Amino acid sequence: MASVLALAGLGKDYGARRAVDAVDLVIEAGTIVGLLGPNGAGKTTTISMACGVITPTRGTAYVDGHDVWRDPRKAKRALGLVPQELALYDELSARQNLRYFGRIYGLSGTELAARIDWALGVAGLADRVDDPVSEFSGGMKRRLNLAAGVLHKPKLLILDEPTVGVDPQSRNHIFETVKTLRTEGMTVLYTSHYMEEVEALCDTVAIMDHGRLVAAGTIAELVASHGGEGLDLEVTGDAEAARTAAATLASPVAGEGQIVRLPEVQPLAPVLAAIEATGATITSIASRRGNLEGVFLALTGKALRDE
Amino acid sequence: MLGAAITKDLLLLAGDRRALAMLFVMPVAFILVFGMFFKFGPDKDHPRPIAVWHAPGDARGQRLVANLIASESFTPRELPTAEAVRTAVVTEDVIAGVIVPADFLPGARPVELVIDEGMSLQVRGPLQGSLTGLIVRGVLGLPTPSANEPAIVVARTPPGIDRPMTNISAFQVTVPGNAVLFGFFIALSVAIGFTEERRSGTWRRSLAAPVSRATLLLAKLVPYSIVGLLQMTFLFSIGALAFGMQIAGSLVGLVLLSIAVVSCATALGLLLASLGRTEKQIGSIGPPVLLVMGMLGGCMFPRLAMPAFMQKVGLAMPHGWALDGYYALLVRPGTTVVDVLPQIGALLGFTALFALIGLSRFRFERQ
Repeated sequence: MASVLALAGLGKDYGARRAVDAVDLVIEAGTIVGLLGPNGAGKTTTISMACGVITPTRGTAYVDGHDVWRDPRKAKRALGLVPQELALYDELSARQNLRYFGRIYGLSGTELAARIDWALGVAGLADRVDDPVSEFSGGMKRRLNLAAGVLHKPKLLILDEPTVGVDPQSRNHIFETVKTLRTEGMTVLYTSHYMEEVEALCDTVAIMDHGRLVAAGTIAELVASHGGEGLDLEVTGDAEAARTAAATLASPVAGEGQIVRLPEVQPLAPVLAAIEATGATITSIASRRGNLEGVFLALTGKALRDE
Repeated sequence: MLGAAITKDLLLLAGDRRALAMLFVMPVAFILVFGMFFKFGPDKDHPRPIAVWHAPGDARGQRLVANLIASESFTPRELPTAEAVRTAVVTEDVIAGVIVPADFLPGARPVELVIDEGMSLQVRGPLQGSLTGLIVRGVLGLPTPSANEPAIVVARTPPGIDRPMTNISAFQVTVPGNAVLFGFFIALSVAIGFTEERRSGTWRRSLAAPVSRATLLLAKLVPYSIVGLLQMTFLFSIGALAFGMQIAGSLVGLVLLSIAVVSCATALGLLLASLGRTEKQIGSIGPPVLLVMGMLGGCMFPRLAMPAFMQKVGLAMPHGWALDGYYALLVRPGTTVVDVLPQIGALLGFTALFALIGLSRFRFERQ
């Protein structure tokens, strides 16, 4: 399968601060890839470098086989960016917005008119084409934001938090639109804070933290290799000492308050004995089912929803 | 791409009432108000009244009255007593008065010119000089001046000074003054346009499009240049059609000078955009800077009336050069394009300077 996006050693420094270290990521055609990471992990910077919006300090980015920085016109023609901001002109109508964005992608005449009609249909805004965007609800603006990104039917669609702050109806619409676009052959790179969206939508997931790509693969692969599954022990006494004792025999050990969160460990008995040796008493043991949220927590030490 | 950007920005501007008012309505209001404040040259339709008293039948007094009537600048207002003349000056009913004593005797009983000697020399000097001339003619028994009379004194412009129009109206000065002042306000729109694109994310979206960064920059500047030219065309047209402003020199010169002004203002906008990150920052530094530049350049008060040092300071502003060019084209008949090339050149120099600094500081990418 051909790659639509290939990032190799892509990184960005701002003075002495390293925003993105060196990202290697390949996205195959026709797939939907989720990019997850806590705030400040470097997701938006990575996306911006891949789109040619930010000049990288090091590394390369290829879109549809074209170097984003050496052959920007061809590379950029193959990609569509839906920024996190509502990148629209509020004073203009939906049609006027799409006409402008279509023309900067080289569309014109009847082709542009047809694409505008198609994109407005995709966004479910066909009946509001000539209304000023300022009169749209937040959800409608999000949908139009998406329509502006897919207008030129790019091979790679990059969605940066496309469902932030929208009503459930519009979120579902965007969600279904992305699925439909994939069936039409579009490749999608999707960042989101909503774990259930990523789990349901994405074929593969890449997780970033501190400017680095810490894991990538299918959700099943990530759950299998990065835990998520394990045991949650509730203890009385010094829980911190219990976690420290457990960490000498198992890794990673997490948890807050009176919870000691263990990975799947074999054998379990020595770990339990080490905890009780600290003076703590185990009052309950619960089995934890593996999921992406657990993987994220295990890799970054943070809950995505808290970001 | 440029066509799309021009259409888009013109549509955005058409919906921005605040910007439209600033660029098109405010200057007209200023032209009107300042036009009514200022007066230049002799006012043939409204000669100034001068209070006069002389003894009944006094030939000297009658000749003085005839001389005042014959002058273009004054009209006599004969009052019944000498005291009434003094009172009229004190109460500012008239700017000056003349009392011709019945027993006129040079040295002992001279003609009294009633005038506020505390008046500024710029106003009192010409007034006192002209009235003294008319009085002397009257009391010496010289005939009322006429075209056929042999000239004793004649005014001539030496070679090297272009002769201005004789019927300069206040609008010859206030139209270019305010056109330049508000023309440079397009810089504010340019700078705010950039920050607004950054804030909304449309700049990021445009950077991801298959368009070079140079084209993107040009696509943002060209629409404002067009708006600037429309603004100048509108203001000079209003000046000519509604306020009777005349163009004494080359129309082509006026157009080229206006293009240079708009280019300079647009480049200044790029410079402002490179200095301010937000609309608030631009809004706080832009207007004071533009107003001070306009004031020093003579947009609100002609540089000719400023002290010599301030006149030179005015030429450190593009506004000063622009106005020198406009005044030459509007009030000096026969002014050609070549005559205003120094002003056009200076404005293009400012354009290059602003653009260079702006480009060196402008950041396509912001953290």
